[in-house]
Amino acid sequence: MRNLIEFLQRYLYWLVFLVLEVVSLLSLVRYNSYQGSVAFTTANDAVGTAYRLGSNVVAYFHLGTENEALEAENELLRKQLHDLQQQLRQRDAASDSLPEPVEETESEYRFVLGQVVSMTVHKANNLMTIDKGERDGVRPEMGVVSSNGVVGIVYLTSRHYSVVIPLLNRQSQISCRLRGSEYFGTMQWERGRADYSYVNGIPRHAKVKKGDWIETNGYSDIFPEGIPVGQVVKIGDSADGMAYRLTVKLGVDFNTLRNVSVITNYTKPERRLLEQKADSLMSASEE
Amino acid sequence: MLLLLLVQLLLLNHIHLLGYATPVVMAYLTIPFHRGASRVGLLLWGFCAGLIYDVFSNTMGLGMATGTLTAMLQPVLLNLFAPADAPDDLRPTMRTMGTQPYLLYVLLTMLIYHTVFYALDAFTLQNWQVTLMAIGCSTVMAFLFVLFVQILLSSIHSSREQQHTRK
Repeated sequence: MRNLIEFLQRYLYWLVFLVLEVVSLLSLVRYNSYQGSVAFTTANDAVGTAYRLGSNVVAYFHLGTENEALEAENELLRKQLHDLQQQLRQRDAASDSLPEPVEETESEYRFVLGQVVSMTVHKANNLMTIDKGERDGVRPEMGVVSSNGVVGIVYLTSRHYSVVIPLLNRQSQISCRLRGSEYFGTMQWERGRADYSYVNGIPRHAKVKKGDWIETNGYSDIFPEGIPVGQVVKIGDSADGMAYRLTVKLGVDFNTLRNVSVITNYTKPERRLLEQKADSLMSASEE
Repeated sequence: MLLLLLVQLLLLNHIHLLGYATPVVMAYLTIPFHRGASRVGLLLWGFCAGLIYDVFSNTMGLGMATGTLTAMLQPVLLNLFAPADAPDDLRPTMRTMGTQPYLLYVLLTMLIYHTVFYALDAFTLQNWQVTLMAIGCSTVMAFLFVLFVQILLSSIHSSREQQHTRK
């Protein structure tokens, strides 16, 4: 008995070591597919608040670049507004004889504006925390965008904060297409540079050139179609040679990203299609 | 520890040399423990430091596993580089161990920490060149950072002592 106790005392640290390592590795493996607990993440209120205070300070240093980006966006919007107004005037003149449009199209989605409070870009699976949570209507699986394009998808939410899986995560897969065509592929990041990602699966007969824009195709029920993702900088072949593998410069600069929007009530095209189908069936059976 | 954590989270987590190498100076936490310190205590210390790092950077388990392993190896590494005539409760510093053995001790600890950290993070052999680069660059950066802080601290210390002797 005494021997046993002595033995235990001498090798207790091995036991503690094994227990702690097993606990660590279990949580490492489980966390990847673990949606339940937000207590041990930056979506936790206390941690989130600490980060917000820190990022408020850092934000001042980025004000210059942020301003420039906003200025540029303003310029673009002004130009678009001008163009649209002109088009409208031309149409107005031409459409006097046409009947009024029957139904008004409602805006399909609503944005919740938020700020990034913490973000990593150097890991294999990066995550990002924003200061909007369930109280603001944010739920898992919602799309996150910024003025420069797609940012990522909401993963976990707490009352005031959410954790987002950005494009810079190996688990992130976003269905996208070449602007101006219907050829689509999947964007998947590989560890390395924070400003480039890769699109696989665009067929070889598609016409691609450097500088082409990649945008969302609206097949997934997370992003509406036409949101820019990035620009093609290199055209390569996939491993099996059946498709292109495009290197894309991301529109969003994750190193300085501050302001983002969560798309909270995007009507899912799939649901709409189903509803239309159901409607037509109903009307057919009535006849 | 709190100060180191703040430096890590607010400053170093934003350094990405070549886009992927980020020094994790949390590795320093087990370095100053004296010889003969309770191994169980050391393990728990490494584990808790890792846990706090993980909660703040969404890397559940990564810091914990690495911290525990480094804490387990600390006495072995210390004995490896301690001078033969060192006392049993040797506190590892440049003065007590000699500059070269101490630096080697710190460098090796950093190397082990970052190797385990990035290997667990990548979890595959895919892109192993990138992982190797990340390990190398971040080890060197973390090492230089610790060195810099130590030199800074010791120069403040010695200038204070000089003031004392002048009085």
